[in-house]
Amino acid sequence: MNAMTTRAERKQKFVLQGIPFIIFGIAAIPIWKALKKTDAADMQVVSPNVLSMLLNDLYILLSVSCLAILLGIVCAFYLEEWLPKNNWARRLIESHVAILTSIPSTLYGILAISIFFSYAGTLKVIDGAPPAQNTESIPFQRNTTLFCGEVLTFIFMVTPVTIKTTQEALRSVATPVREAVFALGASQWQVLRQHVVPIAFIRILAGGCRAMSRAFATAALLIGIYIWYDTTDAGGMSGRFILFLAVSLFLSVFSSSLTEVYDSDLTQRS
Amino acid sequence: MKNKIEISGLQVHYGDKPALNGVSFDVHPNEILGIIGPAQSGKTTLLKVINRTLEFTPEATVQGSVKLDGVDIDTIGDVYELRRRIGMVLPLPVGLPLSIYDNVAFAPRTAGLRTKPELDEIVERCLQQAALWDEVKDRLDSLGTKLSGGQQQRLTIARALSHQPEVLCLDEFSIAIDPVTTMRIEDVLKTLQTEMTILLVTNLVQQAKRLANRTAFFLNGDLIEIDTTDVIFSENPANQATYDYVNGTFG
Ligand SMILES: Nc1ncnc2c1ncn2[C@@H]1O[C@H](COP(=O)(O)OP(=O)(O)OP(=O)(O)O)[C@@H](O)[C@H]1O
Ligand SMILES: [Mg+2]
Repeated sequence: MNAMTTRAERKQKFVLQGIPFIIFGIAAIPIWKALKKTDAADMQVVSPNVLSMLLNDLYILLSVSCLAILLGIVCAFYLEEWLPKNNWARRLIESHVAILTSIPSTLYGILAISIFFSYAGTLKVIDGAPPAQNTESIPFQRNTTLFCGEVLTFIFMVTPVTIKTTQEALRSVATPVREAVFALGASQWQVLRQHVVPIAFIRILAGGCRAMSRAFATAALLIGIYIWYDTTDAGGMSGRFILFLAVSLFLSVFSSSLTEVYDSDLTQRS
Repeated sequence: MKNKIEISGLQVHYGDKPALNGVSFDVHPNEILGIIGPAQSGKTTLLKVINRTLEFTPEATVQGSVKLDGVDIDTIGDVYELRRRIGMVLPLPVGLPLSIYDNVAFAPRTAGLRTKPELDEIVERCLQQAALWDEVKDRLDSLGTKLSGGQQQRLTIARALSHQPEVLCLDEFSIAIDPVTTMRIEDVLKTLQTEMTILLVTNLVQQAKRLANRTAFFLNGDLIEIDTTDVIFSENPANQATYDYVNGTFG
């Protein structure tokens, strides 16, 4: 890739961008400690499996959202590069994407809670007395319904945002560039692979990260609500909360540094 | 003599708005055909029809026929092949976000050429022809979009020559280029004439007078007159509007 900035300039930008990471890291330590302290007794009981289960969850959610992002990207490429401008399917999808992206992410969380959870009766359990379970016999029980809700919410949240950002990234490759490349006898595929994708790539990646960050924040919110009821932390919920919050923060900072460091190049490149 | 391009009854509409109303003329092989006319007369549209890039404007509809070497361009199955036979220089330089070298080597590579010495040779020759070689030969790896406006325009000319087109279409190529360099490129065009057919759209009527063997005058989507340049620029072209436009007393 040809870059407009020199390596030194980019390093400097990265360092500057790293400051939020450090601040976040410093802030996360006391939160983590505080959470650990309150549940110290229970944590000890459940600790053998919690971490691996947590990471397991995280992996599943990460791969689900990666798939959702992929779906969004494919969808956007299809809409933008193959469907004609005023195709009815394109208009239908675009208007729905517009609606889905304009819903605030907290609303998704609340919707997810009320639809997925109440449907499966989870809220009833939460509403009633805390489940009198023997925490020792159930080290870490993943609430399957909660988890499926998360996965579905992820797909609903991530895909439309990715479609939108990818479309915008593709549009940012100006028509004259495309026409010039076509005029040189390049095929549609060559134009996409050699010009459109390299120029739009960073923006697509940044858009995907931002969408994922939003989804993780919502997941953290769901879990945060659950923590209120689950005072014993038998489900390892506070750990999940912190983990998801961290992932969400990391992704959003990462996506903004991507745009900061590389996108100024792109505007000049395209 | 066989015609290089035969255009008959060419009509182009953007939506309902006509841009070309039934234009017919021939382009002879190895001639420089000057195309002049005021703004909005359909000159750019004509070039876009010839290399079929008008297909990217969804609202544009085309009627009539354009034949290249006697073959209707609509029946050419491989549109990419067609575009490789035609070089196109647009009025505003479109720098591809590639190095200077890659800009020029792009089309040959697209056509399947991979060997470095051959590419080197093509890049040097095309940059020479576009009067850009001396200025960039030391920095072929730097970004094409970092060149000055005039240099970028010459880069697009080098790019258009890189796939050795049979027809070279130049759309107001000298807008951003200084007069001295323009003269150098004009000299190159004259020598290129032995290898290819050149369609020269220009706003500078004097440029058409200097270069063109024949000149076509367009006005509001109509071909008013096409004749040898001597006749068009004489005291008595067939149409009064031509005389007025050429002599700057138009409108
Ligand atoms: N993409 C487009 N959509 C709609 N109308 C267009 C489009 N491109 C050109 N036109 C119209 O078609 C007509 C001919 O335009 P064209 O660009 O071919 O003129 P031109 O002779 O090249 O003018 P100029 O000398 O200003 O470059 C104009 O009326 C113009 O407004
Ligand atoms: Mg024009």
